[in-house]
Amino acid sequence: MAQIKSVLRDLLDDVLGLADSYAVTLKHLFRKPITEQYPEYKRLFAERTRGRIILTRDPHGEERCVACYLCSAVCPTDCISIEGAERKDGRRYPLWFRINFARCIYCGLCEEACPTLAIQLTPDFEFSKYGVLDFIYEKEDLLVDHQGKNAEYDYYRHAGVSVEGDKGEHINEKPPVDVKSNLP
Amino acid sequence: MPRLVIDDLEIEVPKGTKVIDAAERLGIMIPRFCYHEALGAVGACRMCAVKFIEGPLKGVQMSCMIDAQDGMVVSTTDQEAVDFRKRVIEWLMINHPHDCPVCDEGGQCLLQDETVSSGHGRRRYPGRKRTYRNQYLGPFIAHEMNRCIHCYRCSRYYQEFSGYRDLGPLQIGNRVYFGRFKEGRLESPFSGNLVDICPTGVYTDIPARFKVRRWDLQRAPSVCINCPLGCNTIGNSHYRAVMRVEARMNPYVNGYFLCDEGRFGFSYTNGGADHAQRPWNSRISGADVTVEAALAESASKIAEISAIYGPGAVVALGSTRNSLETQSMLSRLCRRKGWQGPVWFNDPAIYRKVRSGVERLDSGIAVSMREIEFADFVIVAGADLLNEAPMAAMAIRQASRKNATIIVVDPRPISLPFEFRHIPAAPAQIERCLGSLVKGSISKDELKGFDSSAKGFCKALPAKFEEKESGISISELSGQLMSAKRPVIVCGTGIVCESTPAFAADCAQLLRESGKKAGLFYILPGASSFSSALLSGPETKTFSEILPQIEEGLIKALIATESDPFWDFPDRERLDRALSMLDLLVVIDYLPTETVKRATVFHPSSTVFEMNSTFVNQEGRVQHAERVHVGGVPIWGAHPPRIIRNFVPGGDHQPAWELLWKISAETSMLESVLTLGELIAAEIPVFEAVGHSKYPITEGRIIPENSEGSFVKPKASPAKGQTAKGFNLLLTDTIFASREPSAYADTLASVFPEATLFMHSGDANGAGLSEGDMVSVELELGAIQLKLSVSQRMARGFLFLPRQRGIHWQKMKEFSAWIAPERIRKI
Ligand code: SF4
Ligand code: SF4
Ligand code: SF4
Ligand code: SF4
Ligand code: FES
Repeated sequence: MAQIKSVLRDLLDDVLGLADSYAVTLKHLFRKPITEQYPEYKRLFAERTRGRIILTRDPHGEERCVACYLCSAVCPTDCISIEGAERKDGRRYPLWFRINFARCIYCGLCEEACPTLAIQLTPDFEFSKYGVLDFIYEKEDLLVDHQGKNAEYDYYRHAGVSVEGDKGEHINEKPPVDVKSNLP
Repeated sequence: MPRLVIDDLEIEVPKGTKVIDAAERLGIMIPRFCYHEALGAVGACRMCAVKFIEGPLKGVQMSCMIDAQDGMVVSTTDQEAVDFRKRVIEWLMINHPHDCPVCDEGGQCLLQDETVSSGHGRRRYPGRKRTYRNQYLGPFIAHEMNRCIHCYRCSRYYQEFSGYRDLGPLQIGNRVYFGRFKEGRLESPFSGNLVDICPTGVYTDIPARFKVRRWDLQRAPSVCINCPLGCNTIGNSHYRAVMRVEARMNPYVNGYFLCDEGRFGFSYTNGGADHAQRPWNSRISGADVTVEAALAESASKIAEISAIYGPGAVVALGSTRNSLETQSMLSRLCRRKGWQGPVWFNDPAIYRKVRSGVERLDSGIAVSMREIEFADFVIVAGADLLNEAPMAAMAIRQASRKNATIIVVDPRPISLPFEFRHIPAAPAQIERCLGSLVKGSISKDELKGFDSSAKGFCKALPAKFEEKESGISISELSGQLMSAKRPVIVCGTGIVCESTPAFAADCAQLLRESGKKAGLFYILPGASSFSSALLSGPETKTFSEILPQIEEGLIKALIATESDPFWDFPDRERLDRALSMLDLLVVIDYLPTETVKRATVFHPSSTVFEMNSTFVNQEGRVQHAERVHVGGVPIWGAHPPRIIRNFVPGGDHQPAWELLWKISAETSMLESVLTLGELIAAEIPVFEAVGHSKYPITEGRIIPENSEGSFVKPKASPAKGQTAKGFNLLLTDTIFASREPSAYADTLASVFPEATLFMHSGDANGAGLSEGDMVSVELELGAIQLKLSVSQRMARGFLFLPRQRGIHWQKMKEFSAWIAPERIRKI
């Protein structure tokens, strides 16, 4: 008897399970569809979406990147190549900066590593190409003339090197020590 | 020997070992900033705190300040010590700037490593940071004082270790500053070590400024080939360019340090900043061709000339910058093919001096730089160390710090970074001076104990040497030498007489026989002079002796392997004429030399950074340089091209020995001789003992246990004083500018000394000249203009002319010249 009861219960469960999914399907038949008609309709992505990479500028319009090589070091696919150089005024900058987007996996680690907020991923993902060489973006292609996600940050205002402002003029600095005076 | 326990591991160390070093022997690296083996302990940074649990001391103490003692139980991981170190880091970081992204030390920074490993990640202190202004310190080193953590390593190195005074601490308390009183180029030719020694980014090197991070570098152990000492280096390359050269610790050779010529004189391998200065491609008559075409051309032309004129019409030139592999190959090919050579030297006198010196070195008498550091009496005879072999000066400086007496017998106006007595004897007087000094130190009793040859030698030594001008009493110095236990004679091979190297060996031998642990150290002319001497015999010719044969048309082909006769042959026009008479000039090289410009066929060879190679330094130490990178035209300086290539531009170079073998068309070569090790051993018998199957040979000295050299009765030196009125012009070396290959490095071009002629001030007064005058010196074949420098501390009747790149001094008939007084004019 108990055996028959349990078989019947299983059967009922199965039938209910089936009916449930049919009910969901049925319900969705009458809902408004969420499929976007891409590319006719282009959906807005969140700012943090990881797509094509840019190099941003600081609030004065100078290149933010200081060629510190951290992004190229962290990149798991080794798709960033840089050559650092010194500008006449002592500013460290990338003489050239190259990202091979054919290799980039848009992991965003470069952005996380960047101490100057220069390298940023953008929501733009639409850049298919026919040739592989076209995926190699140079600094001219990467550099934009805005600050990206952070409008204020200016690395050289926090650093100790006197590129923007003299010694003692950066954020949280005392005036330089006068080495030739013994006055306190 | 105290036994102690560190982190549950027991160790026994020699007495006087610091706890920090004892731990290092166990593989436990206690964090540190101020402690450095070469500089000793000062306890300035408080970073090396450990907890002493048992033993004579208890509690948290600085492990660099405490000698290991019996019964100590030390914990480096005790919470109290860990917390202590963490707080030290936090307070060191209070003033540290937010510079890592733009600091070249980043990635190889001790402060970074120790901050990260202590776990200090967030700044808690809200106060303002101390700042400093930087100084210009010359073309090699950038200064960024904000990054300093006041460990005093730089000033201890610069002032105490290297003996220069122009950089050090200024100010007091929290405002201590490390720099110069006035900004300007650092005076020390060993300044580059500041970059290695500073645990932060205060001093960073300018040639690689902003260009690279440590993690991107290809690194390999290498050897400096700019002078005979063969300091151990690490080559660092990136994007096909050598970016920097660092010191590699070798306790017997250079310790932890390098001179600036060795450290910064590398850019020849990159073809300079514009990469255009190195001959990258194979060429026939000046036109670029493929490697194969050039090899085929050389091979067929050499075969043709050998067939018509006989193989003796072909001469192979090597040099003292060839690797041991190349030298062995040259030697083998000359023998098998019947070519004349190999020729290693230009100047027969230098060649004979090198040979006579090398013959006398044995493992009893030869000393390493390390042993010089422990000498108690050093006699430098005819060597200008700072200019000829800079790190040797650094070794003697260490002896001087231990109160050794240092005597320099040299006619030049020598300057050295330590106290020394200078006897400005003329070259012909050096032996007299050295001899009387040694003779005076031998007591009667000692003399009795000598065998007849030693006795004869000692008796024949001049008893007296008069040195009026320097006011130095030789007999007083002899007295000091008598009580010395470990005297060392450092003997040059440049301006000294031909008999001097052997004479110096005899003197050292005599000192040994009088019961001292005496040593002998030669300064030879090039990185591989020692092995060239081993590969020469009495018949070996120098280039000057070969030249007449070229002029007579007996020699039709010259194979110059990393050899540039123009570099130090005194008569440039004659050389030019002679070379133009050749049917074939095959040049194998990596430098843009004058000879390369005249090559019929040119083959690019690999630099020391681009191949595995072996060099034997001047004390017979065999050292191996590993290939750092493949090489080729560097990518630096401009955007790399957007093309896909299946070859490396400028990647055609090959080791010179390989090129030689290919152009010799000796196909059977590698069948009969299988490995490089066997090739070397077949050519240089001493390598048999080293074991020729052991290639690469990475250590050991190849000098015999006992050399056969014996006492040669000294000749009576010529009477003092010149009869004819005039000056003896001698050629000398100068740091940075007079040696291949570093003189071709554009990184050094800005520090080339100004072209200067040295003259005794008395002589100058007589000629109406004074310090700083521009003078024109009429040599036999033309005039040169240079600045005059006068000094009282040099021999009278001499002029010294640096054999420097850029001065066109090659207007002499011989390797020295006689200059009548009227041929020096003020202009
Ligand atoms: S997103 Fe990831 S893969 Fe792409 S460049 Fe950055 S680190 Fe490299
Ligand atoms: S991490 Fe940022 S600043 Fe550093 S090289 Fe990359 S983009 Fe430039
Ligand atoms: S400059 Fe460097 S080596 Fe000198 S005290 Fe400062 S941190 Fe130490
Ligand atoms: S030039 Fe000489 S002293 Fe200087 S690093 Fe090279 S081998 Fe050493
Ligand atoms: S390393 Fe011991 S106090 Fe600095």
